[in-house]
Amino acid sequence: MKKWMPYLLVSPYLLHFSVFVAFPVVFSVVLTFHSWNIISPMKYVGLANYRHLIHDRLFWQAVWNTVRFLIVHIPLQILVALTLAELLNRTVRGASFFRAAFFLPVIVSGVVVTILWQQLLSYNSGILNRLLTTVGMARVAWLDDPAVAMYSIAVMATWKNVGLYIILFLVGLQSVPVQLYEAADLEGATNWQKFRYITLPMINPTIFTVVVLSTIGGFSLFVEPYIMTEGGPMNTTLSAVMYIYRQAFQYYHMGYSATLGFCFALIILFVVIIQRRYVEQEV
Amino acid sequence: MIFRLLFVSVLISSCHREQSTDQPITFWCSNNAGEITFAQQQTERWKKLHPDKPLRYQPIPEGQSSEEIILASVVGKTTPDIYANMWQGNVEMYAKAGVLIPLDTLTGFREFIAARCDSAVIREITSSDGHIYQVPWKVNPIMLFCNIPALSALRSAQPPYTYSTYLEAGRQFRQDKNGDGYVDQWLGYTEVKAIWYQRLFNFYPLYLAASNGAPLIKNNKAAFNNQYAIEVFRFLQTLYKNDYFARERLSATRDPFLAQRIATQFTGPWTVSFLDKFKDPGFDYGIYTMPVPDGHQGPVYTYGDPKNIVIFNTCRDPQTAWEFVKTLIDKEGDRQLMELTNQFPRRKHVDTDPFFATFLANNPRLKPFAQQSRYIKGVDNCEVIVEVFDIISQEYEACVIFNKKTPEAAIADAARAVDVLLGTN
Amino acid sequence: MLQTILKYSLLVLAALSFIYPFIWMLSASLSSESSLGELTLLPVDFTWNNYVTVFTKIPLDRAFLNSALVAVLTTGLVLLSGAMVGYALARLDFVGKNIIFYLIIFTMTLPFQITLIPNYITMVKLGWVDTYLALIVPFALNSLSVLLFRQAFQSLPQALIDAARIDGAGELRIIFQVLIPNIFPTVLTITILTFMGLWNEALWPLIVIRDESTMTMPQLVTLFSVGGRAEGQLGVKIAAAVMLAIPIVVLYLFFQKHFIRSMASSGLKD
Repeated sequence: MKKWMPYLLVSPYLLHFSVFVAFPVVFSVVLTFHSWNIISPMKYVGLANYRHLIHDRLFWQAVWNTVRFLIVHIPLQILVALTLAELLNRTVRGASFFRAAFFLPVIVSGVVVTILWQQLLSYNSGILNRLLTTVGMARVAWLDDPAVAMYSIAVMATWKNVGLYIILFLVGLQSVPVQLYEAADLEGATNWQKFRYITLPMINPTIFTVVVLSTIGGFSLFVEPYIMTEGGPMNTTLSAVMYIYRQAFQYYHMGYSATLGFCFALIILFVVIIQRRYVEQEV
Repeated sequence: MIFRLLFVSVLISSCHREQSTDQPITFWCSNNAGEITFAQQQTERWKKLHPDKPLRYQPIPEGQSSEEIILASVVGKTTPDIYANMWQGNVEMYAKAGVLIPLDTLTGFREFIAARCDSAVIREITSSDGHIYQVPWKVNPIMLFCNIPALSALRSAQPPYTYSTYLEAGRQFRQDKNGDGYVDQWLGYTEVKAIWYQRLFNFYPLYLAASNGAPLIKNNKAAFNNQYAIEVFRFLQTLYKNDYFARERLSATRDPFLAQRIATQFTGPWTVSFLDKFKDPGFDYGIYTMPVPDGHQGPVYTYGDPKNIVIFNTCRDPQTAWEFVKTLIDKEGDRQLMELTNQFPRRKHVDTDPFFATFLANNPRLKPFAQQSRYIKGVDNCEVIVEVFDIISQEYEACVIFNKKTPEAAIADAARAVDVLLGTN
Repeated sequence: MLQTILKYSLLVLAALSFIYPFIWMLSASLSSESSLGELTLLPVDFTWNNYVTVFTKIPLDRAFLNSALVAVLTTGLVLLSGAMVGYALARLDFVGKNIIFYLIIFTMTLPFQITLIPNYITMVKLGWVDTYLALIVPFALNSLSVLLFRQAFQSLPQALIDAARIDGAGELRIIFQVLIPNIFPTVLTITILTFMGLWNEALWPLIVIRDESTMTMPQLVTLFSVGGRAEGQLGVKIAAAVMLAIPIVVLYLFFQKHFIRSMASSGLKD
């Protein structure tokens, strides 16, 4: 083997890394100190972008929206996924059918899911409101009420992703040694005690994975609000990526948009590190 | 493989930029069928007149929005020589970036423009640096479409409307037809989304109508903190508060105006051919000026949605390009524009000039627009006009749609935010 | 007994709530406009009109070809580059190997929000806006596939490689002719993950493609759904969404188990 062979083999990686990772990271940092609308020359503005960001109501609104999304999305995701995984983990006829059904929304494009849910949630003619009015309840403006819209999206996102987490939990549940349950049975433990003191600690890493992936997902939310609400009503569904997109491609504030991207990324890293700490303490 | 791809693509893109000497002048037009035919005929006409000056037209590549395509072409330095269809609000940004030719430096421009447009229009298109970078070309005035049979039953609430007669019409017309406890017939609907350009079709024309065409921005400061803007907000807010307008998106089975779920809408001449194509027998409509405050004096202005012609500085022969633009928008060209696209040229006296009389006689539906074209405004020359509309949109949503603010507070907050924005730029 | 009934009714209810919306979508797309919003299993007033309208309004066939071309080409490149890099990291010794490994980990934890805008500008500067290159090259290599390949190659016995070397095979032949057939499940996993990700990607095409003839399906359907070209007709939007879903659902029905396993392995990467 020639000496340069390994380098030749990894060269696609190095090239790709320098063009699409290293350069953007460096350039992104540089951009955050500039004002630039792409067509005029870049202008150095020092920390102005960061100062603006601190006072930018919409930046904080986007952060707050993501928090509100995650507060509903994460617990719901874990609850539904764990329940269904628990049910599937017992001997079930047609388990593979159920698994396949739960997984269906996962493989379909978010665009499809969003268009579908937009119809289900429509105020005047959506199926959900039809159901509500048939049982004598009032209509809900699922996507037009500022107090509700983000939670509607959170539920929809849960519906879309939960199949994946069911599978992850199934893998986790199946890795719990049967002997542990048998020992617990001997001691007369209830089902709840078994779940609380054996299952839960054993699948803690899976829960962590779900939390991290959902958090990253929350900060990456784009197609859903873009199609359904365009960030409204009252900016209550403006997501981080939507705001970056809007600043870049509606106002051509490339420098500020990069600053937003940079700060959102820092927030994500920070949140994930905190989550990891917390999980490590639990275990 | 990747190497090769990269290499090939670099080669392709560099070749692309070299083939430039002795090319014909390129003219980008809009990509709807009518305007493509128009561009094609005009190009033919030019070729006959000037066989020595090659010129070709190309519809702008279809995509999400023509603005973004132009931006991409400016960045990639692949701009056409002439672009006919730039939204007036975008011109200033490109002018400031130095990619447009100041047209007033070309021979014959000033004279031509003075003959075509009145002084108010010329003031409107003059950049803050004193140069003119755009040729006023065509307009689509926003007006009030009314379902005549549906409204004829109303008492003392017939168009054209003032705020109080319009509200009265709303009160009488709003209904819950199937009795499920929810209104399902409204006086009107106008897009509720907070995206900036939607304000060009509700707030802005109403503001221009109320204020006799006052600017939003003057001397680089917000100029809309006045009773007109406040009254427009209060008017619209009342319409929503009382369910005269539908607040939730009307995802109707078909166009709500045609389906008679609403009886009025604010829109432009492009809607005429749509309505005539899809209307049911017996459906009839009229076109009126925008609603105005009670006791309004003088003509009723509206927003004209002007699209203008620019010449990019990549053009090697601006004078010839200008000569072409001149033939494109001479009387003959303008009449063809009207015939082929149902859009209106932005020139003086379109409604009374005998040259255009036959067209208007054949298209009576368009006559109100021709008359309205005397009293239209574009947008103020401001580099960040999109953001100004966005700020107004934010307050509009909070005040008009969700009733979270008084009109006074909303307009004052918007004006303050706009001043901050203009101060930092 | 009661528990069993409870268990199955819960599962059936859940399965219904995942499947029914898709069934509704399919029958709504085949129903007339006025019967939308009905809780239905079968189309009401059966009609193909919505599909006819979609195809006359937007070049969905062209977008399908674009999507297919981009997804297939890129997946091929990902396999190629992933196998090469993964092999080097797994079986060869060279200076800088660990650094590269850590760079890959770093790349995977890096939120894409940071690189989005600069990458767009790179595309503009390279003149790749509105070309297939912008859709293919940035995705031609991906960190997860490198790691999966590395893992798979590490699990193979050295004897396999040594025997091939004695036969005089070069490294590329070792990778693609000797080793790859032994790690077929990994290849399948990477293929599915990459293909699915590319097929469903909407954000990046929205940013770099403005020319309708180069648009991918998710992008075109997104724009169709947001923009005015559907003229407010729901059935038409739903039909467009169905067209976007069908190819991947068909693949899923064929390779169901592999899909589930592949996705699970991507979820377990942490």
